[in-house]
Amino acid sequence: MTKHDLNYSYYPGCSLHASAREYDESTRGLFHALGIGLVEVPDWLCCGATPAHNVDELLSLSLCAKNLALAERVAGDLAVACAACFSRLKATQHHLAESETKRRQVEYAIDGEVSFAKPVKHLLEILATDLGLDRLAAAVRKPLAGLRVACYYGCLLTRPPEVPQLDCVEAPTIMERVIGAAGAATVAWSHRLECCGANFTLSRPGVVLKLSGDILASAKRAGADCLMVACPLCHGNLDIRQKEIEEATGNRFGMPVFYMTQLLALAVGVAPSKLGFDSMIVNPLPLLREKGLV
Amino acid sequence: MSRIGVFVCHCGENISRTVDVEKVAAEAARLPGVSYACDYKYMCSDPGQSLLKKAVAEHGLDGVVVAACSPRMHEKTFRSAAKSAGLNPFLCEMANIREHCSWVHEDREEATAKASDIVAMMVARVKKDKRLVPITVPVTKRALVIGGGIAGIQAALDIADAGHQVVLVEREPSIGGHMAQLSETFPTLDCSQCIMTPRMVDAANHPNITLHTYSEIESVDGYIGNFQITVRKKARSVIEERCTGCGICSAKCPQKKIPNSFDKNLGLRPAIYVPFPQAVPNTPVIDRANCTYFRSGKCGVCQKVCGPGAIDYGQEDSLIVEPVGAIVVATGFELYSISEKPKGSPIKGYGEFGHGTIPDVIDGLTFERLASASGPTGGKILRPSDGKEPKQVVFVQCVGSRAREKGISYCSKICCMYTAKHTMLYRHKVHDGQAYVFFMDARTPGKNYDEFWRRAVEEEEAVYIRGMVSRLYQKGDKVVVMGSDIAVGLQVEIEADLVVLATAVQPRTGADTLAQKLGISYDRYNFYSEAHAKLKPVECATAGIYLAGACQGPKDIPDTVSQASAAAAKVMTLFAKSELEREPIVAKVNERTCVACLYCRKVCPYGAVEEKELRDRQGNLIRVVAYVNPGVCGGCGTCQATCPSKSVELDGYTDEQIMAMIESL
Repeated sequence: MTKHDLNYSYYPGCSLHASAREYDESTRGLFHALGIGLVEVPDWLCCGATPAHNVDELLSLSLCAKNLALAERVAGDLAVACAACFSRLKATQHHLAESETKRRQVEYAIDGEVSFAKPVKHLLEILATDLGLDRLAAAVRKPLAGLRVACYYGCLLTRPPEVPQLDCVEAPTIMERVIGAAGAATVAWSHRLECCGANFTLSRPGVVLKLSGDILASAKRAGADCLMVACPLCHGNLDIRQKEIEEATGNRFGMPVFYMTQLLALAVGVAPSKLGFDSMIVNPLPLLREKGLV
Repeated sequence: MSRIGVFVCHCGENISRTVDVEKVAAEAARLPGVSYACDYKYMCSDPGQSLLKKAVAEHGLDGVVVAACSPRMHEKTFRSAAKSAGLNPFLCEMANIREHCSWVHEDREEATAKASDIVAMMVARVKKDKRLVPITVPVTKRALVIGGGIAGIQAALDIADAGHQVVLVEREPSIGGHMAQLSETFPTLDCSQCIMTPRMVDAANHPNITLHTYSEIESVDGYIGNFQITVRKKARSVIEERCTGCGICSAKCPQKKIPNSFDKNLGLRPAIYVPFPQAVPNTPVIDRANCTYFRSGKCGVCQKVCGPGAIDYGQEDSLIVEPVGAIVVATGFELYSISEKPKGSPIKGYGEFGHGTIPDVIDGLTFERLASASGPTGGKILRPSDGKEPKQVVFVQCVGSRAREKGISYCSKICCMYTAKHTMLYRHKVHDGQAYVFFMDARTPGKNYDEFWRRAVEEEEAVYIRGMVSRLYQKGDKVVVMGSDIAVGLQVEIEADLVVLATAVQPRTGADTLAQKLGISYDRYNFYSEAHAKLKPVECATAGIYLAGACQGPKDIPDTVSQASAAAAKVMTLFAKSELEREPIVAKVNERTCVACLYCRKVCPYGAVEEKELRDRQGNLIRVVAYVNPGVCGGCGTCQATCPSKSVELDGYTDEQIMAMIESL
């Protein structure tokens, strides 16, 4: 017997248990408020993220295939929050479906069968399509009126074109549609899909300062109050590094960087204390207070 | 007993690489009724054909099977060889062991067995072939040309100069097409208007050319030599015979702010207008969607001011039937747009370039209008957003072309040259301006073409950057171009005042619909297909229809004019005879068994089936049967497959022949 009409298995990924804890908390809070069932995949492991597939393709595919196999133990399509996990899991399904040889190698490596049955869905897809924007809008208790949001997709949410198939690759609107349903205003801006520098954050921070700096400057230019992201890596670069970027470029941004679930959860009435606003480096509370949202 | 000859061709190595041709010949020789079999390296060559003729004479052959390529390739060749050997040409058949066998198989043993089977089938068929006599039909020496761009005008003038009547149909209110929109042309930089407009006048004044502008093809009936074309002449709301072209109607029209599509919407026009001052005919047309009179019933200013009383608000579309013997299709092209495409469309737009929402990102044709002396800016290069002169212009080649991820894999052929031209025109008009070009390759095969491109780079100092552009975005009043320079392996960013995209050449919207009316084939992009890529480049597979210009594939002006003249020459060849021989492969009705259910009439795609009354000598009606008009029958055999009483059969493909072919296996 199920409690809800929408039920998902849930793959949080490593970041959501560590640096992006607020993404995990707000996701659970939001889904609970929307009446969507979410059951964490037992014993999940790292998806390999960007390093694994650069070093060893078999390792990368096997990690994801193992996770997909584990996900079979829980009912419901697989909900994924992190853009990198989402991309890797989808890419694995794509590559293994295309190559019989790779599939056999991976099955040997994980000592089990590869399963393709379960659709892998990003939270955005679940909210925009499965739940639907109308139901989302109907659940809003505190509309985000007056908040001007720059939706930032980053590289992985829509790319490579043949893999995620989430929305139009180069001009997606899914984030704008979802947050628009919660009453926020979105800005048209240029750097929605540019790379933030991702995990060069450790090896070549100078690259990150330039790329993420361009993104923040572009959002500011477009008149945004804040950025909204769906990827812990982007969040790390844009939020944690923001002060450093300001020092390096001489620009002052003061731009809070929200996970999309934080803003949506706020809109559907989840208590702000449960949304991890305290763990953000750029303090969002002055902005949220100004807009009367907390 | 038949005396059949079998000739197995090696086709160089095309067949013999996979098929053991000697074995096929040896097995054919053992078939009942075969008196002679041999193999030869090139059957279609002169020695090959002589071999066939000699064998017919020496062995008294009464049927021939040539096992070689597709009948589409060489059936005619071998039938005329058989004819010159004294055989009825329709007793010569081809067994296709190339396209249907050697090209598609790898296993030599299996391919050889299959080739032998194909030969055996054709031997069985040829034994039951009848001696057929070609049908002759009269030729209407009058041509239809569809499209009044440079291709259509050239073809029409050539045919008309040869003394034949031509009907020229153009969709727009004026002839001239894209060439009338261009500023200067490569590789000589001569003014497009100066070479185009006199040709337009020639076409309009030619005593042998009937011009229908603002008209479209409604329907096409008939066949080579005898087409019936219905032309829809759209209501112009202006009586052409009365109008003097004085222009007072346009001058007095109170509606003045309608974007002019001829100027790529950069300029404005009134509701009653000629698209451009040099239009032919110089007769205005009322744009009813934007005319105050048609929208509210009030106004009527143009009717009041028109001296000769040429304005007719009540005019309706009229249908004109034109009998013609040949058709030249010259419908041209349009430019791909980067705008968002419908979901599921095989061709995608450029979201990364803003889907066409950035005002200072224009296409090549818009740049032509900016550079043209008769354009909306009088030839000054001024950008659309604020009318300022751009000091940094970035040109981007291959937008949509050679872009498989956008759904178009072909090269549009003209963009490398016109972009080089654009950089020159820009430099000539804005001396302190800098042009940048992002390009994949500079493709300049053509007489004086590479020299022209080098001039743009070396003398006119256009900066060519080999690499693609990944994104365009508006930043203040600049357009930022993000791209790569693969020569130095770096990313580049240019803040441009204007960006010009060399967008792909596509067939006209609706090209497929017209093709279906004409019964001609087209490729997956809707470009019309020629009958043979090399040897029949201007003919359609459908007899009597010819292609000219960019409707067949992207083409520049010299190529278009050459092809148009070639198509005209083909039409003149057809018109050189007063009667035309047609293949006698037509359906015949067995009047003794036909019960006149006329299913055949329902399924016939050519409309060739009529009712025929059988009468006795006193003229009393006995009964009605179906009759197939041999002049109209296309020989498809659909009636034969449909007839419930087996009363209609296609000569050369009778049920008896097909059963014999099956039984031979």
